[in-house]
Amino acid sequence: MRTALLAAAACAIAIGVAAGQANKPASGELPDWSGVWQMVGPTVFDRASVQPQNGRAGDPGVREFPPLTDEYEAIYRKNIERIKAGTFPDPISVCGVPHGFPRIMNVPDVYEFAVTAAATYVLAENGPGIARIYTDGRKHPPAEELWGTYTGASIGHWEGDTLVFETRGLKESRDNDVIIDRTGLVLSDAARVTTRLRKASDTMLEAVMVIEDAKALKAPWKVTKQYRKMPAGTWAWDYGCAENNRNPISGSGKTLTIGPNGKPLDKNTE
Amino acid sequence: MTFTRVLAAAALCAAVTVPLAAHHSAAMFDDEKVVELNGTIKEMQWTNPHIWIQVVVDNQGQKTEWSVEGGSPNTLSRNGWRSNTFKFGDPVTVRVNPMKDGTAAGQFIGAKFKETGKTIGRWE
Repeated sequence: MRTALLAAAACAIAIGVAAGQANKPASGELPDWSGVWQMVGPTVFDRASVQPQNGRAGDPGVREFPPLTDEYEAIYRKNIERIKAGTFPDPISVCGVPHGFPRIMNVPDVYEFAVTAAATYVLAENGPGIARIYTDGRKHPPAEELWGTYTGASIGHWEGDTLVFETRGLKESRDNDVIIDRTGLVLSDAARVTTRLRKASDTMLEAVMVIEDAKALKAPWKVTKQYRKMPAGTWAWDYGCAENNRNPISGSGKTLTIGPNGKPLDKNTE
Repeated sequence: MTFTRVLAAAALCAAVTVPLAAHHSAAMFDDEKVVELNGTIKEMQWTNPHIWIQVVVDNQGQKTEWSVEGGSPNTLSRNGWRSNTFKFGDPVTVRVNPMKDGTAAGQFIGAKFKETGKTIGRWE
């Protein structure tokens, strides 16, 4: 009996060690992504294709050129017209929903990347914004156990010092309640994103994302985002979006401005 | 209106406009226009998702309160701002991109403190 127990314990330890090694970089140590990081550039998701060049997300007429299907190109164009009319609200303006994935990789303010053997956490200060990437050996839930969520389900593994993860189970945009950026880009619930996250230099993290979406995209769409390390000692802070949100959304989708008396300042509130 | 001075000119605006890292559409602001407010600080709301600076402009006895929206305290604090950067009664000149509909509100660009001559934000 004692021998059997010892054998079982040894087996369990061996399996655990093997699983742990599989989740770690080749160096045997987890990479050091400590510190506070800030995304490089403005919040246009695909800066490589945006027109006009250096256009800002949310400005009228600014758009990107992912390989959209006809159906999703039509949706995008409709959203672009709503932006021109000032009636395309950002869903995060209500201060209650996450940015979702992949938008969480494209937000202002700062980031922290917490690396552990079992999971890596992307902590976006502008939030609520947390992406959990499990590296403990689990698999994605089967399709019947997965439902569309803002940030989906991410499973990863290490290839050297690069964290490679796939994100599935993303929420379909219904009436633009989740967007990629403020130009009006949306994906479908068929979207899957493969991300390669690595430290490109001592002061730069890089995320290369390949997005596949059988409904929204005719071909894989590759987007690269970079994050520059802030000076040592930089703080990330609490972001209580609902603390004093003076920009609610009207019934027509217009972003209002609330005055000091609690009433809209806008001359037309519809 | 004598209490505001439209500096206008799209080229100038492009040079001085500060992106807010906003949590909402900025469609309500006219970034083709800059308005200069000469007034006193009533209050600074050092809150997320945006700070707000309430500026009272006195135009020959007629007082108008402007609501000026800035970035998040998180980002501003990393750029030298503090929760008491604007104090009650401070005489200031504040430049904003005003709301398109003429409402007394706008997007913060920069400010100059009249007593010290110090500036904050973009001031060129």
